[in-house]
Amino acid sequence: MGTLTIGCYPGLVGSMAYDFALKLADAAATKGHKVNIWFSGNATGSVKAHQKHLKDYSTGEKYLTALLAKGVEICTCEACTVARGILKTEGIEKIQWNAMHWYLAKIHKSDRVLLIGGE
Amino acid sequence: MGENVKLAFIVQKPQYKGETSRLAITHAIAYQTVEILLEDGELVTPTLCFIGEGVLGLQKGQNAMELYGITSTESHIKNTLLVDLDVLICKEDLVKYGIPEDALPDAEDMGADKKLQVVPFAQIQKAMEDAKHVLFF
Amino acid sequence: MKLGVFVSDFKFTADILDRLKADKLGIILVQNGIYHATTKENGKSSSLLDKTSNLYALSEDIQIRGLKTTDVDKRVKVVNYSDVVDLVFNEYDKVAWL
Repeated sequence: MGTLTIGCYPGLVGSMAYDFALKLADAAATKGHKVNIWFSGNATGSVKAHQKHLKDYSTGEKYLTALLAKGVEICTCEACTVARGILKTEGIEKIQWNAMHWYLAKIHKSDRVLLIGGE
Repeated sequence: MGENVKLAFIVQKPQYKGETSRLAITHAIAYQTVEILLEDGELVTPTLCFIGEGVLGLQKGQNAMELYGITSTESHIKNTLLVDLDVLICKEDLVKYGIPEDALPDAEDMGADKKLQVVPFAQIQKAMEDAKHVLFF
Repeated sequence: MKLGVFVSDFKFTADILDRLKADKLGIILVQNGIYHATTKENGKSSSLLDKTSNLYALSEDIQIRGLKTTDVDKRVKVVNYSDVVDLVFNEYDKVAWL
C-alpha cells in the first residue's frame, strides 16, 4: 500500500473539483492506502463546522468527518483559513491547522502527489 | 543521509485573477521551514517553473500593494531568489508573448545574488523528469 | 517518466500537453474533460484522443452529465474512482492535474 497526498485548492461551494478530491481520497483510503489532504486557498472554507447541506451545494463536513474516521489526515492552511474569517474553535474537529510546510513534509513521505489547483 | 525529494512546481496560469499561481510561489518558499517537520538530513527541494500564460505574471513594476493592498507577485518572486530557489522561466513562452528578458524582476536591491533563469522548455521538461513529483498550479 | 495527466476541462490545454514528453503518457478525463470522449465538435472528435492510446474517462462524471458509456469514444476506457486509484499507484509514477 502506498501514500497519496492530495493538495486541494478549489472552494467547496462553486467547484466540483473539491468533490473529486474527496471522492478520490475516499477511494484510495478504502483500498488501504494512506491518504493526506492539504487544503489551501478557497478549499479552506470547507473546514468550518455546522455546514448546512442545501441540495444545490455539496457539503464538505459529512465527507470530511467520514474521511477522518477512515484515518485520512486532513490539514488546512491556517493563514488561508483565518483570512476567510474562520476561527480554529469553529473548525471541524480533528482537522489539523498548520502552515504550508505541513504539505511539503507530507509530500516528502508520499508515493504519489496530486495537486488540484483552484482558479 | 535522508532523502532529498525534488519537486517541480509548474505555474501555467497568469497571476491576479486567481490565487493558485501565487500559491505556487508561497508554497515553494515554504521549503525553507519544512525541516522542522522532517528527520535530520531530509530535504524537500522545489524548482519553480513558469510556462505558458504563467510567464505573464512576471513583469517588473507591479503595483499590487498600492492598488489592491496585496503583496505583488514581483515581491514574492524576489523572495524566492532571496531564499535561493531555482526559478526557471520558459524562453519560448517569453518570446511567444513578446516579453523581453530585461522586463523580469531581480532581487539585487534586496541583496540576492540568485537570478531568474530563462531557459528552453527542454530544461523545464528535465526538471519535471528529475523531480519525484510534479505539481501544476 | 510515466505521467498520468488529469484533464478536467473541455477547453483543451493543448499548448501545455503538446509539449510534455513522457515515456508513457496517460490521460484521465474527469469533470468537463469527459466531453473529449463523448462529444464531437463540428463532427470531429477531440484531438486530445490522438495524444496517446492510454485514455480513460471517469464513469461518475459521464453519468452525472446525462451521458452513457455507450456515448464514449471506443479508444477511451471507462473507469471508476477505484480504478483511478489503481492507475495513479500502478501505472504512472507522477500525476498532474491540468
